Amino acid sequence: MDPLRSYLGRLLLEDITPVVMVLTTPLAEAACRRSGLSFVDMLSPFSLFKKIDVPVRTASDQPYRLQMFKIRMVYASDIHKQDHEVADERIKLVVSEANEKTLPDLLADPPQLEDVVNKPEAELCPLWTKRFNRELIRTLSFSDHETFDHPVACLLVVSSKDKEPISKFADLFNTNQLPSLLNEGIMDPQILKHYLVLHDQQDGPQEIAVNILAEMRSTLGLNDCKLLCINSSAQAHGSDADNSWLPYKAHGLHNHEGACFLNTDDLNEIKDFMQDFASNHIIPYMEQKIRVLNQQVATTRKGFRNQIKNLWWRKRDDVPEAANGPMYTFTSIESQIRVLGDYAFMLRDYELALSNYRLLSTDYKLDKAWKRFAGVQEMSGLCYFMLDQSRKDAEYCMENAFSTYLRIGSSGQRNATRCGLWWAEMLTTRGQHREASSVYFRISNEEPSLHSAVLLEQAACCYLLSSPRMLRKYGFHLILAGNSYYLSDQKQHAVRAYRNALFVYKQNPWSYINNHVHYNVGRWYGVLGIFDVAIKHLLEVVACSHQSLTTQSMFLNDFFHFVQSTGKKFDVYKLQLPVFNMSSLRVVHEDHRTYASNADVDVSESIWQELEEEMIPSSSVVRTNWLDTQPKSSPFKNNKASVCVAGEAVKLNVEVKNPLQISVNVSGISLICQLSTTMDASSAEKGTLSAATEEDIATTKPSILTFKSDENNFTVSSLDIVLGGGETKRIQLEVTPKVIGILKLVGIRWTLSDSVVGYQYFEVSTQKKTKKGKRGAHRSLNNILIVIKALPKLTGYIDCLPTKAFTGDLQLLTLNLRNQSEHAVKNVKMKISHPRFVIPGGSSDLDLEFPQCLRKHVQSDSNVVSSKSTKEKFKGFLFAFPQDIKIQGGATFSWPIWFHAATPGNLSLYLSLYYEMESTTDIPYRTLRTHYNVEVLPSLDVSFAVSMCSSRLQEYIVRMDIMNRTLSESFALHQLSCVGTKWAVSTLPSCDSISLVETIPANQSVSCFFKIKDIGTNSCAEAADGSCGSDMVLSPGGSTDVFHISQSPIADFHYQERYHQGKLAKGPSSLLDFILIAKAVAANSSKSEQLLSHHTCQVALSQNPIWWLMEGPRTITHDFSKSCCEANIQLVIHNSSEHNISLGVVTSDGTLEKNQTIPSHESASGPGGWYDVSLENDVKAITSMKGTHPQKQSSESISPFVWCSLSSAQVDLKPNSSAKIPLKVCIFAPGTYNFSNYELHWKVHPSEAGQVDDNGRSGVGQGYPFYVTVLQGAR
Amino acid sequence: MIVCVAVVGHQNNPLYLQSFTEADDALKLHHVVHCSLDVIDERVNNPKRNAPTLNETFLGLLYPTENYKVYGYLTNTKVKFLMVTTDLDVKDADARNFFRKFHAAYVDAVSNPFHVPGKKIASRSFGARVSTIVKSFGSGTTV
Repeated sequence: MDPLRSYLGRLLLEDITPVVMVLTTPLAEAACRRSGLSFVDMLSPFSLFKKIDVPVRTASDQPYRLQMFKIRMVYASDIHKQDHEVADERIKLVVSEANEKTLPDLLADPPQLEDVVNKPEAELCPLWTKRFNRELIRTLSFSDHETFDHPVACLLVVSSKDKEPISKFADLFNTNQLPSLLNEGIMDPQILKHYLVLHDQQDGPQEIAVNILAEMRSTLGLNDCKLLCINSSAQAHGSDADNSWLPYKAHGLHNHEGACFLNTDDLNEIKDFMQDFASNHIIPYMEQKIRVLNQQVATTRKGFRNQIKNLWWRKRDDVPEAANGPMYTFTSIESQIRVLGDYAFMLRDYELALSNYRLLSTDYKLDKAWKRFAGVQEMSGLCYFMLDQSRKDAEYCMENAFSTYLRIGSSGQRNATRCGLWWAEMLTTRGQHREASSVYFRISNEEPSLHSAVLLEQAACCYLLSSPRMLRKYGFHLILAGNSYYLSDQKQHAVRAYRNALFVYKQNPWSYINNHVHYNVGRWYGVLGIFDVAIKHLLEVVACSHQSLTTQSMFLNDFFHFVQSTGKKFDVYKLQLPVFNMSSLRVVHEDHRTYASNADVDVSESIWQELEEEMIPSSSVVRTNWLDTQPKSSPFKNNKASVCVAGEAVKLNVEVKNPLQISVNVSGISLICQLSTTMDASSAEKGTLSAATEEDIATTKPSILTFKSDENNFTVSSLDIVLGGGETKRIQLEVTPKVIGILKLVGIRWTLSDSVVGYQYFEVSTQKKTKKGKRGAHRSLNNILIVIKALPKLTGYIDCLPTKAFTGDLQLLTLNLRNQSEHAVKNVKMKISHPRFVIPGGSSDLDLEFPQCLRKHVQSDSNVVSSKSTKEKFKGFLFAFPQDIKIQGGATFSWPIWFHAATPGNLSLYLSLYYEMESTTDIPYRTLRTHYNVEVLPSLDVSFAVSMCSSRLQEYIVRMDIMNRTLSESFALHQLSCVGTKWAVSTLPSCDSISLVETIPANQSVSCFFKIKDIGTNSCAEAADGSCGSDMVLSPGGSTDVFHISQSPIADFHYQERYHQGKLAKGPSSLLDFILIAKAVAANSSKSEQLLSHHTCQVALSQNPIWWLMEGPRTITHDFSKSCCEANIQLVIHNSSEHNISLGVVTSDGTLEKNQTIPSHESASGPGGWYDVSLENDVKAITSMKGTHPQKQSSESISPFVWCSLSSAQVDLKPNSSAKIPLKVCIFAPGTYNFSNYELHWKVHPSEAGQVDDNGRSGVGQGYPFYVTVLQGAR
Repeated sequence: MIVCVAVVGHQNNPLYLQSFTEADDALKLHHVVHCSLDVIDERVNNPKRNAPTLNETFLGLLYPTENYKVYGYLTNTKVKFLMVTTDLDVKDADARNFFRKFHAAYVDAVSNPFHVPGKKIASRSFGARVSTIVKSFGSGTTV
C-alpha cells in the first residue's frame, strides 16, 4: 500500500504542513465578523490545495512536482504551547458530542459476533475516534523541541478602514504581541511576511483600498502586498451563501450563523489569493530556505573533517545535564538542521529530511537532550514510513522515540502518546494489528481515564482485526475501555463498550465475567433512564447462585430499584428467580384413581396396578359397560388425554428453588389455565387443535396478559411463600374446573417481591416424543385435561395408624371413609398390600373395647376363623365389605382395622379402596389409594428350643430365650400359647412354686423353661383340667386374663406369620407354633394398654419316631456276700410315628469310656441301619485304632455289672403303640451305676413308600442315663 | 508468587479457577485467564512448531501483562492449565514441574467416579492439593 494513500500518510500530509501566522487589526476582524466568520475561518477552507501541481527543487538538482499541499492558518495569539486543561476540555467535547449519536444505537439489540465480523473495517471503531486522535495529537502543537509547527510565513491583515494602514502593519509585527517562540529566540524572527488589505465592499467604494495598496506596494515591497475584497453582496442571503460554501463545509466550517455577505466572486477572490500565496510565496520561500540551510549544514557538518571536529568539540564541551537538554537557539546548528529536516519533510523530500534527522539524532544523543532526540527519532520513523523503506527501521525508530519519551517522565508523556498513535497507525497500515493494539494499550496507561478509554477501545478493535481474530482480548479491552469511560463519567460510551463485548462472554460459561458485564450494562442503562433495557440486562444476573452474598443482594437491590423506577409491574418471561424445576413437574389429576394424600401420588403406578389387579374390573369390561350406557359423548374414546372431574382440584406439583443466598418473597404463585367449554362430538379434534395452539404458545411466548383467569369456569389457587437462601420447596398448585370442557394448563405465574411478575409456559416437547412412540413415558406432561361431570368421591384415612411401632404391636384401628359428594357409592372393596401387618376386622369389632375383646371369657364359644380364606391370599388381601353397605352422599363410614407389627423394619403399606357409583356416570367405579409408612422397631426377640424329655414319654422341654432389643422400654410377659389343640404347655413341675419373671427391662435377656406335652394322641383326660391347656399365663393375673389365640385377629395374624416364617424355614419334622403375648410396661399408667404378640412358628421337634424310657427300681439293697445282684429293669418303648418300626436293643458291657467312643463312631459312619455285629469285635476294632492303652484297660478292668438276659432284642412296634422289653443286669458290687450303655437301633417300615424321608428311615438311639444305687444289704 | 491457577476445558469453559491473593481481584484474574485462551488458541492453531515440540504440553509464557505473567499447559484432551504469577523471572523448569504436578492432581480429581466430565471441579481435596502445589512453587529454586 502506498504510504501516502494510507490513513497515516494522509494524516501526516494534512497535519505536518507549513504554518502561517496571521496578524489582524480589530477592524479587519470586524469586517469578517459581518459574515459570521473570523478571518482565519474564512481563509482556511481554501488552504488545502488538492491539485496545486507546482514544481519543487530542494537540495538536489532534480525538481519534482507537488500535487497536494496544505497550509495551516493560525492566529499569532494561538501560537503557544497548549494549556493542558483547555486541551482536555476540547477533547472531552469531542467525546461527549459523539455521546449523543450513540443513543439510538443503545436502544437496539447488542451486536452479535456475525454483526461485528461483517462490519467493514473502518466502522469497527467509531469514526469519531479518529477525530479524537487528531485532537489528542494537536494538543502538542507548537512545542519548542520541534519546528514543523513553527510559522513559515506571517500574514499581516489591515482593514481598508484603518487609519494609516502602513504604520498599522508595523504595529502588528510588534514584538510585544508576537508569540513567545519568536521572542525567546527559539525560532528565527526573520520570516516571510505578506501584507493584505481587507476591504469591505459595504463600507464604501473600492478606490480607498486600491490607494492603500498602491501605497503599501511602494513602501513594503511590490510582491508582498495584496488586496482582498469581501462582503460584496448587497444583502445577506443565506441560501445562496450556503450553496457556495457547500464544497468547503467539510473542512471544519461549522459556525455559520445565517447572515453571510460573501458572494461567489468573493470566494473566488479568496481562493485565488490563497493559491497565489501558497505557490508563489510560501513554497519558493521554503525551497530557498532549504537550500540555504543545506549549504550551511554541508559546510559545517558534512565531510570527515567536520565530523571529527564535531565529536571533539562536543566532548570537550561537557555540558551539565539539564532537564530538557541544553538550550538551542535558532542560530545553533542543531536547530538549523531540525528546521531543514522539517521543511524537507513538509515539502516531501523525505530522503533529505531523513538524512538530516539522522545527523541530528547523534548530536542530541551526545548532548543528552532526550526529548529532542525522541522527537527526531519520531520524525525519522515517519520518514521511513513515508518512504516505505525498511519497516524494521521505522519500528525501531518509533519504539526508540516512544521509550525515550516515557523515560523522561511527565513532560514527555503526551509526546509518547502522540508517538504511540502514529506508531499504532503505522502498524495498522501494515496489517500488524496485534502489535498496534499492544501499542494502544501501552499508551492508554499513560493517559487520563477518558483518553485511555478511547485508546483501549481502539486497541480492542485492533484485536478484532488481527488474524486470527482474538475475540477474548477484544472483549477484555472493551471492558477495560468501558470501565474507563465510566470513571470519566461517560456512561453512554461505557454502555456501548460493554454491550459490544457481551457476545464474547455469551457462549462460554464464564459466568463471573458475564455477570459483571450484564450487571454494569444494566446499571448504567438504569442511570441513563432506559429502564426496560436495564431490567433486561439485570435479569440475566439476578439468579446468580455462584456469587457472594453481598454481590447477590447488590444485584437484587438494583434490580428492584429499577423495576420500581418504571412505576409499573413488570412482566418477565422465564424469570429465573425463583427457579421452577420443570423436570419435577407433575400433574395430579384424579380420574377413576383418587388419592388420599399427596404422598400417595408419588407411589409408582405399577405398584397400585399390581395391587388392584384382582379388585377392579378388567378394562375391556369396563369400557363396554359404560360405552353401552354412554355411547356418544365419550371424550376419551380416541385420544389419550387425561381426564379430570369437575369440581375436583387438579394439582400440579413442582419444585421451586431459590438459587440465591438471600431469602426472596414469592407471592401469588398460580397456574395459568385455559378452559374451553365448547365440547361437542368433535372433541377429539379439538384436543389436537388445542395441542397445536399449545405449541404456538410455547414458541411465540405471548404476554402474560393474554391469559386471564376465568372465574366462571375454573378457580386457581394462589400460593405465597418465602424461600430462604438456597432453599428448595415443593409446592402444589391447584386448579379446580367448574364446568365440563377441556382444561389446558398453560404455565405458571408468580410475583417476586410484589414488583416483578414472572411467568413461564410449560414446554410441550415431551408430547411430541410420546407421539413418536415412547408411549410408556408416564412422566410426560399431560397439560390437556378433559373435564367430565362431577362424580362421587370418597376420602378416607386410617385413624391413628402409628408411624412407629414395636415389633409385635397389636392394635385396633378405625378406617374412616367419607363421601363428599351428593351421590351414594356402593360395592366397596378393599385390598391391602401387607395382610401380615393389617387386616380388616369384622363389623362387630368396631364397638369392642381393646384389648378386653381378645380375652377368653368374653366369647368362649369361639368363632374360629376359617383359615381357608386367609390362607389363600397371602400376597394381597382382598376384602369385600358387606354388600349392603352403601355410603350415602355426605355420610361418613367407619370400619375396624387390625394392625400387627410383624417384623422389624420399614414398611410401606398400600391400601386401595374400590367403590362403584350408585348412579350411572362417565366412570363406573373409582379407587381410593392410600399408603402409609410404618417403622417397626425391634422389641423382643423370642426363640424356642425344644428337646425331648428323657424322663417322660411324649413330653418336651422348651427353652424360651427372650431378649429385649429396645433401649428403654421394658415389657411384661403375659401369656405363652401353643397353637393347636394337640399341645399343652405347662411349667416344669419343679418350678411350680417359683414365680416367673414378670418384666424384661431394656437390653436384658431371659431364658425360661417349660414343658409341653403332646395331648393329641393321649386321651384328653389331662387336657380337661385347666392346668395344662395350650395357653399358659405368665403374669400373676391369673387365668382370667388369657387371650384367645384361636380367634380373630390373633389367629389371622398367626396364619400370616406362619406363611411368612414357613417360607423361610422348611423342616420335615413335626412343627410347633408358639405365640408369646407381652405387654409394654408404660411409664405412666394413663397410657392405654399396649399389647405385643410374638409369633414363633414351626419350631422343630425331635426327629425320633420312638420314645423310650427305662423303668425299674432306683435303689436296690442286696447282700453281695451271697450272690451277685440281679436288677430287673424294663425298657418302655413307644412308637409315635405312623409306621411300623422294627427295633433292636443292643446292650454292651464295658466301661463308660468305651461306650462313649462307640456312638461317635457310629454316628460318623452314618445311618448304618442294622448292626448285627458282636460288640466285642467292634470295640476291638475301635481300640486297635485308638491305640493299645484302652484295650489294656478293658481287658484288665472288670466291669462292675453286666447285662444278662439278652445282648440284643428285637421288637416290632405298631404305630402309636408301646412295648416293654425286660432287661436284667447283674451287679457285682455295691455302688451307683449308670445303665446307659445300651443302644436302640430302629428301622421304619413305611406303610407306603416315600412317605418318610431318608433321615427318619432308620436310626440309633443312645441310652439315657439311668442311675441305680445298689446297697450292701444287711445280712 | 502464583496468584491464580485455572483449569479450562476443551470448549474453553472454566473448570476450576482459584486465586491466591487476599485482594478482591477475582474479576481481573478471570479476565486475564480468559484472555490468555486467545493466545493458546493462536499457538494451537498455528503449528509452526517443529517436530520435537509437537508433543510438548507445556506452552510457556503466554501473556505478559504489566503485572502478571501467564503460563500455559495443554493436555492431550485439550484441557488447558493456566498459571498466573507475579514473579518476574520464572524458570521454565519450575513452571514445567508445577504443571506436571498440577496435571497429576487434575487427573486424580477427574478420575473420581462422581465427577461429571465437563463440569466444574468441586472436589475439595483437589483444591487442597492444588494449594500445596502452589505453595511449594518456587521453593525448589531457593534451596
